[in-house]
Amino acid sequence: MNYLAKPIANPVVVLREEFDDWAVLFNPDTADAVGINPVGVTVWKQMDGTRSIEDIVSVVQSNFEDVPEAVHEEIVAFVQMLEKNGFVGLALKSNI
Amino acid sequence: MSIRSIDNSEKSKQTKTPAINTLYFYLTEGCNLACRHCWLAPKRDTTEHSSPTLPVDLFELAISEAKPLGLSSIKLTGGEPLLHPEFSRLIEIARREQLSLMIETNGLLCSPEIAAEIAKSANRFVSVSIDGADAATHEWVRGVPGSFDSARQAVINLVAAGIRPQIIFTVLRANFRQIDEMIPFAESLGATSLKFNIVQPTARGEKLHETGETLDIAELIRLGRHVELSLAPKTKLRLFFDQPHAFRTLSRISNGDGNNACGIFGIMGVLSSGQYALCGIGAQIPELVFGAIGKTTLKEIWKNHPILNAIREGLPDRLDGICGRCLMKQRCLGSCIAQNYYSTSSLWAPYWFCRQAEEAGLFPASRRI
Ligand code: SF4
Ligand code: SF4
Repeated sequence: MNYLAKPIANPVVVLREEFDDWAVLFNPDTADAVGINPVGVTVWKQMDGTRSIEDIVSVVQSNFEDVPEAVHEEIVAFVQMLEKNGFVGLALKSNI
Repeated sequence: MSIRSIDNSEKSKQTKTPAINTLYFYLTEGCNLACRHCWLAPKRDTTEHSSPTLPVDLFELAISEAKPLGLSSIKLTGGEPLLHPEFSRLIEIARREQLSLMIETNGLLCSPEIAAEIAKSANRFVSVSIDGADAATHEWVRGVPGSFDSARQAVINLVAAGIRPQIIFTVLRANFRQIDEMIPFAESLGATSLKFNIVQPTARGEKLHETGETLDIAELIRLGRHVELSLAPKTKLRLFFDQPHAFRTLSRISNGDGNNACGIFGIMGVLSSGQYALCGIGAQIPELVFGAIGKTTLKEIWKNHPILNAIREGLPDRLDGICGRCLMKQRCLGSCIAQNYYSTSSLWAPYWFCRQAEEAGLFPASRRI
């Protein structure tokens, strides 16, 4: 996945926010779920198919303190995990 | 802040016959205390009366039968395990067999000598039950004067021997206001962790639930949040509140700070009567006793007993009620299938805590399927 890929959240998946700002992503079709922390919640909310990973990294950097240097890799890994579970698709724009 | 997530989609499928990881030895039916909340309701041992204990040869035989099936650890509990007249011999055997050792004690008999003996095991974990930050509270719960000082001293003896134990505090209406105080108390004794247990509605605990001496479900849920969110971040002690997974914060679960799930797929109970049973609940429920050591082989029981095979095949997918509709069931496995069976005679019944929470409209919507 490159940093220009534009992830798009599966519209079936429901974001269930909890009282401590963590959340559960729940896919009612499969009953699969993923628990995510507040950074994950922010990333999830950006995945509308118009923002690249690069754009999402910028949003995370401006919203959270102590963002680690490896934030790019972490977000890519996170999106890949969601993609593997069918929670996310990629709107890949061809440059040709 | 880093990104963190918990992937719940990996199902905990059991292989046909998993390894036996741990034998839970209920070394004696007796106890030298008379705790109001005990889930086993053991007989009280006094100078005139002592209860039968598991013979050492059966202890050894059970271990030798379990090792080829994967055994790596044993838990010594009871009743009060230190009442076993050959306790030191038992831990010597565990050491010789290179088994990890877990001991649950009320501390009364945990002398410096016993503590030093336990400390010789490379891999050991000891928990000491203390149900109040002062003698009056603890002894009201535990029923025996002087037991508070003995339990405190046990922790001190263990720490002196190089073992930093866990303190277990069972939450009741009579002591829950001391939860905050327990933290500096446990820190000052040198404990490594503090676990708050909820009274299970089994044996004596059932009476306490009926008479309102336990907290109600709303109070328990509030207390769990207080421990996880307010108290845990402020202490170096590891704090645990023994509530089911649906009530634990995701942040604690992802940190590995939640309590572990029940290890039922890898546990076999051994009763003081010399019988194999489901964890230890067999002492209460005859149909969960699987056979006698030396009469039926453990291999035969472990591979073929219909109840064990039913559990392997059915848990968690066959869970009923709220457990069947719970997002956490792959991790939680219905919290305690033994307790669920005790209450309902069904292996698949939902856990009382979550059933009551659902009935009260307090089960978290985000954790439902
Ligand atoms: S509903 Fe059942 S499976 Fe879910 S957390 Fe409660 S006890 Fe565990
Ligand atoms: S079923 Fe209950 S008593 Fe048995 S090991 Fe699991 S939690 Fe413990």
